[in-house]
Amino acid sequence: MSAAVEADGVRKLYGELVAVEDLTFSVAPGQILGVLGPNGAGKTTAIRVLTTLLAPSRGTFAVAGVPHTRPLEIRRRIGVLPESTGYPERQTGEEFMRYHARLYGHARASAVAVAAKLLADVGLADRRRSLIAGYSRGMRQRLGIARALVNEPRVVFLDEPTLGLDPAGQRQVLSLVRRIARERGATVLLSTHLLAEVEEVCSHVLILNRGRVAALGTVSEVARRAAAPRSARLRVAPEHVEEALSVLARAPGIEHLARADGAPGSLTATNDGRTPNGHMNEALRRLVETGVPVLSFELEGARLSDAFLAMTEAG
Amino acid sequence: MVEAELTTPRRSWTIVGEWELRDLWLGGRGLLLTLAFSVLVSMLTYLTATNRALNFLEQRESVNLTLQVAIAVGALLALVAAADTVSGERERGTLETLLLAPIPRLQLTLGKLGAAFSLSVAAFAITIPYVWFLGRGVGIVGAALASGAFVGMLLAVFLASLGTLVSVFAASNRVSLSVSLFLLLALFAPTQFPSGAQQGWLGEFLLRANPLTAGEHYVGKIVVDGHAWSQDVLWLASPIVAAALFALLVAVAGARFMHLSRGSSR
Repeated sequence: MSAAVEADGVRKLYGELVAVEDLTFSVAPGQILGVLGPNGAGKTTAIRVLTTLLAPSRGTFAVAGVPHTRPLEIRRRIGVLPESTGYPERQTGEEFMRYHARLYGHARASAVAVAAKLLADVGLADRRRSLIAGYSRGMRQRLGIARALVNEPRVVFLDEPTLGLDPAGQRQVLSLVRRIARERGATVLLSTHLLAEVEEVCSHVLILNRGRVAALGTVSEVARRAAAPRSARLRVAPEHVEEALSVLARAPGIEHLARADGAPGSLTATNDGRTPNGHMNEALRRLVETGVPVLSFELEGARLSDAFLAMTEAG
Repeated sequence: MVEAELTTPRRSWTIVGEWELRDLWLGGRGLLLTLAFSVLVSMLTYLTATNRALNFLEQRESVNLTLQVAIAVGALLALVAAADTVSGERERGTLETLLLAPIPRLQLTLGKLGAAFSLSVAAFAITIPYVWFLGRGVGIVGAALASGAFVGMLLAVFLASLGTLVSVFAASNRVSLSVSLFLLLALFAPTQFPSGAQQGWLGEFLLRANPLTAGEHYVGKIVVDGHAWSQDVLWLASPIVAAALFALLVAVAGARFMHLSRGSSR
């Protein structure tokens, strides 16, 4: 099966500034790919290139099997929610949807039907006749996602869809993203700053740093590949803190120990990253054998956040 | 998943035009501008009718004056609406979703241009009863309205294209509107020159080369002097050339340079 998105050595320059360099990756149909990166990493530029809004300075790509030299055909097969997009305030949600459905080739009657269905799908059926001016940010994002689906796209690009939303709004949007992939079988490229979102909904992740691909793979692969130091946050009875520090300092592989902020008796321990699980297990076993009451123990590290920080700070 | 079966609408400019018209007219902006225009034409008609009654103004001149103001202001309205077409969408953040639609940018430009042009059509329609009122009895109403409609259309196409062209390249909506109005004022400037400056070969050349002054001169010859259509047809050269040239320029600029941000590629 051919890739839903395939980029080969894509480069984008703004004058002298390199926004994206040697972007090479592919996404299989039906995957949800999280595109991560710090501010200025090139996420939005990469999406604008792949959605044909910007021409690549070098390299080639294909979306839904269509080469980048045929931008109109690519646009016909994709849906896009741009970052911080604007909406015509004087139109109702239904009018906005009908207009875009018409632009994508729907006849009048079919545009009405598709607008009604998609607005219902994103939970805006009861507000379809309200002016967009009165929509909250979350409603606008859902309207934007509905608009991105008017043409039954094979690939959907969502650029920071949860930006500025409250937790309930974020949850609604992420649930929509999952449904797009599950029910429509579409490939989703989700650009975000929020690592938790990627861990929650994405099967694969692409980390961009300074315009280059820093990592690509499944979420767990990328997290493992980062070889980020593992750490543990534990809490012992406050009167046993000194004893716990002494035991942990003698445990093999423990590189750094410190008292942590928060509840009394909180400590953090970081290992040397070579055999993460074994070191932390051994440290915990020693504490228990010594009779130090361990009130809580939580492993941190080797998560996507560690990988992200390791890859983007090192770059 | 349903395979994409939709195709790009053949005449997508009509869809863009239809929605731009809805936005312009149902959104209230078009109505407000034409309301202001009708107030202006009413006041002008009242003044010219009064002057005529006092024998300060010949009847044909009063028709000509009203018609010329209507043509000029109608074209101005088209310019103002056109100056907002691309830069306004860009500023409101709505351009990106339009550019993502699978329609050629030329069609997008044509649809927007058509909506802007509708303002001058409406303005001219409003002028018809006033011209009829001022010109009744001397047999010039038909010729006045026909020449006014033709010249008005040429000038509206020229100015709407000019406004859209500026809007494609302007960094902001304010810049687009300012530059467009400045250019319009520059075009109107020769009409304010003393009559001596409008004579001689240079004066006549400037009048003929300027689409606004040439077009209005042509209308004046038909309405005031009762000339035949063909008698001063060379005065239409610059309005026709300007309308055709700027329509072509805006078609090319819209297709090639209508970008998300000014200066980006594609």
